[in-house]
Amino acid sequence: MAISLRNLSVDYSLPQGTAHALRGVSLDIEKGELLGLVGESGSGKSTVAFALMGLLANNAKVTSGTATIDGKSFDLTKRNATAALRGRGMAMIFQDPMMSLNPVFTIGTQLCEVLRRRSPGSDRKARVGMAEDALDKVKLSNPRRRMNQYPHELSGGMRQRVVIAMALLSEPALLIADEPTTALDVTVEAQIMREIIGLRDRIGCAVLLITHSLGLVTEYCDRLSVLYAGERLESGTVRQVQRQPGHPYTRMLFDCEVPIDRERQADASENRFTVISGDLPDPRRRPPGCIFNGRCDVSFDDCAVINPGDYPVGNEAEHRARCLRLATP
Amino acid sequence: MTDAISISNAQLRFGETAALDGVSLAIPQGTCFGIVGESGSGKTTLMRAVLGLQKLDQGEIRILGNPLVHSRAALKQRASFIQPIFQDPAASLSPRSRIRTLMNEVGTVLREPHAAMHERLRVILNRLGLPPGVIDKYPHEISGGQARRVAIARALLMKPSILIADEPTAGLDVSVQGDLLNLLQDIRRSDNITLVVISHNLAIVRLIAENAVVMRAGKVVEGGEVGSLFKSPREAYTRELLAAWPGVTQSKPTG
Ligand SMILES: Nc1ncnc2c1ncn2[C@@H]1O[C@H](COP(=O)(O)OP(=O)(O)OP(=O)(O)O)[C@@H](O)[C@H]1O
Ligand SMILES: Nc1ncnc2c1ncn2[C@@H]1O[C@H](COP(=O)(O)OP(=O)(O)OP(=O)(O)O)[C@@H](O)[C@H]1O
Ligand code: SF4
Ligand SMILES: [Mg+2]
Ligand SMILES: [Mg+2]
Repeated sequence: MAISLRNLSVDYSLPQGTAHALRGVSLDIEKGELLGLVGESGSGKSTVAFALMGLLANNAKVTSGTATIDGKSFDLTKRNATAALRGRGMAMIFQDPMMSLNPVFTIGTQLCEVLRRRSPGSDRKARVGMAEDALDKVKLSNPRRRMNQYPHELSGGMRQRVVIAMALLSEPALLIADEPTTALDVTVEAQIMREIIGLRDRIGCAVLLITHSLGLVTEYCDRLSVLYAGERLESGTVRQVQRQPGHPYTRMLFDCEVPIDRERQADASENRFTVISGDLPDPRRRPPGCIFNGRCDVSFDDCAVINPGDYPVGNEAEHRARCLRLATP
Repeated sequence: MTDAISISNAQLRFGETAALDGVSLAIPQGTCFGIVGESGSGKTTLMRAVLGLQKLDQGEIRILGNPLVHSRAALKQRASFIQPIFQDPAASLSPRSRIRTLMNEVGTVLREPHAAMHERLRVILNRLGLPPGVIDKYPHEISGGQARRVAIARALLMKPSILIADEPTAGLDVSVQGDLLNLLQDIRRSDNITLVVISHNLAIVRLIAENAVVMRAGKVVEGGEVGSLFKSPREAYTRELLAAWPGVTQSKPTG
């Protein structure tokens, strides 16, 4: 399933005013492709996912946006626009595993329920076998025993893997994974990514991977979109963006990454972490000019007044970024 | 000097699972100690035991030299010097009260004037990159990474002398993660606190902790000073963890 999201804008209303969480965000994911969505905490990544799934909070309002899924268009400003696709068509691995798990049912019951929905006619024993197999694939030890356990009897990372197993079993055409591996060590993370890619290769689904791990994106994703304060600042293939980030934010984000071989120094002041100084702009009042102005290390006068368009980077097709430096090289 | 935390031969079973299988370790005061290890290896269980939220079947835990006492009064008293940051931030934020209410409770516990507490809070929120307006929201109105930072801010506000953080950087972008770790390092030095960090992120443990242990299936399989631990790990599991690290510097093979 190919999916194209156009011009998505979402507001949250609060007693203190209306926060514009997303402003005109567009994304494209081809069939069989992994798109990595990265960006500052609070930049709106989960909001994109919730809008697609039709699961936004009550105080949210989609002010613009259409999703085209396999040629069919859905007007996202209408409530429940994509309801028909939830379940079989789209599945989401939530950032918080307890959002997908019911505390009063065993793991086995919940996994089998996914399979029952997918193929109502199937035989119970076969479903149990498939569920156990799915737990094994996400590297949970002792799958048979896990089937009879309740969510609170599992560790944080084990719960996360149950939710991933559930999503894999539903065989969706679009899989949205919101921080699927944050509670897992890198060996398990690698295994989970292999399973996601295995599913993609087998059924050709599209995958939206929301993550803070740039390592994960560069290792596994085909393309990358960068979100900042509700705006998409850059998009391109992983290789393009890695070789030549078009936006200063992307470059600065990559510079914050902590290499595994950096060693601790005796002088504590040498162990500082690189950060992007400055604050996110107030989501209620977008300042004029570039949204990243104020934190950018190469800003100039125009940046405070001109809102950059989405310019091509170099002469690479499909690689674009919203920085005035690209318009006036 | 007495150790901030010392654990000897901690054992705990959940049915067939040996969640803690003879764990012993000592964490000197004023240092940063890292705990890494497999998912399900007992890290969170160990933290809960240290906090007195989970009784051991066997073994002993001492906090600043004193054996852990399991009583409501002791639990409350411990909260004044040992603070947890839980793996699941939502669990430490009450869904029905605004974040402001949660923070005000700290003032009540510490008997600190409202204005002084809010001034400290303002500084902490700012260093964690959270807008001041965040305190007027309910927990479900903030993002995952914001919720984690709110939980951290509350723990810091309590001015603990020991801070135990379970996956404090999960769900944070690399820049905010850096802000948090710089702040923790600063507070550690200025207030001389003991910091225990449970994390899957070996790269950060390597930088912030003096000592670390690697856990697997309820046991400490390897431990020591971080430099040598990561440079020449003895355990196959530790080596696997280092080898599987997804780095951004190595670019994808073409083709
Ligand atoms: N129900 C809500 N009401 C008001 N504001 C909200 C609500 N949900 C989210 N927000 C705000 O909208 C912004 C975007 O939130 P979102 O959860 O999409 O961020 P995110 O990019 O997923 O962040 P993280 O990486 O921390 O999970 C944040 O500033 C958040 O505080
Ligand atoms: N209340 C409980 N009842 C039964 N088993 C439990 C309970 N709490 C924990 N366990 C089991 O104890 C073991 C250790 O769990 P723990 O949460 O300490 O792991 P962890 O190292 O923190 O893992 P993670 O990295 O995934 O958070 C796991 O096998 C888990 O299933
Ligand atoms: S437009 Fe200006 S402020 Fe914005 S990213 Fe480009 S140089 Fe920086
Ligand atoms: Mg999120
Ligand atoms: Mg844990």
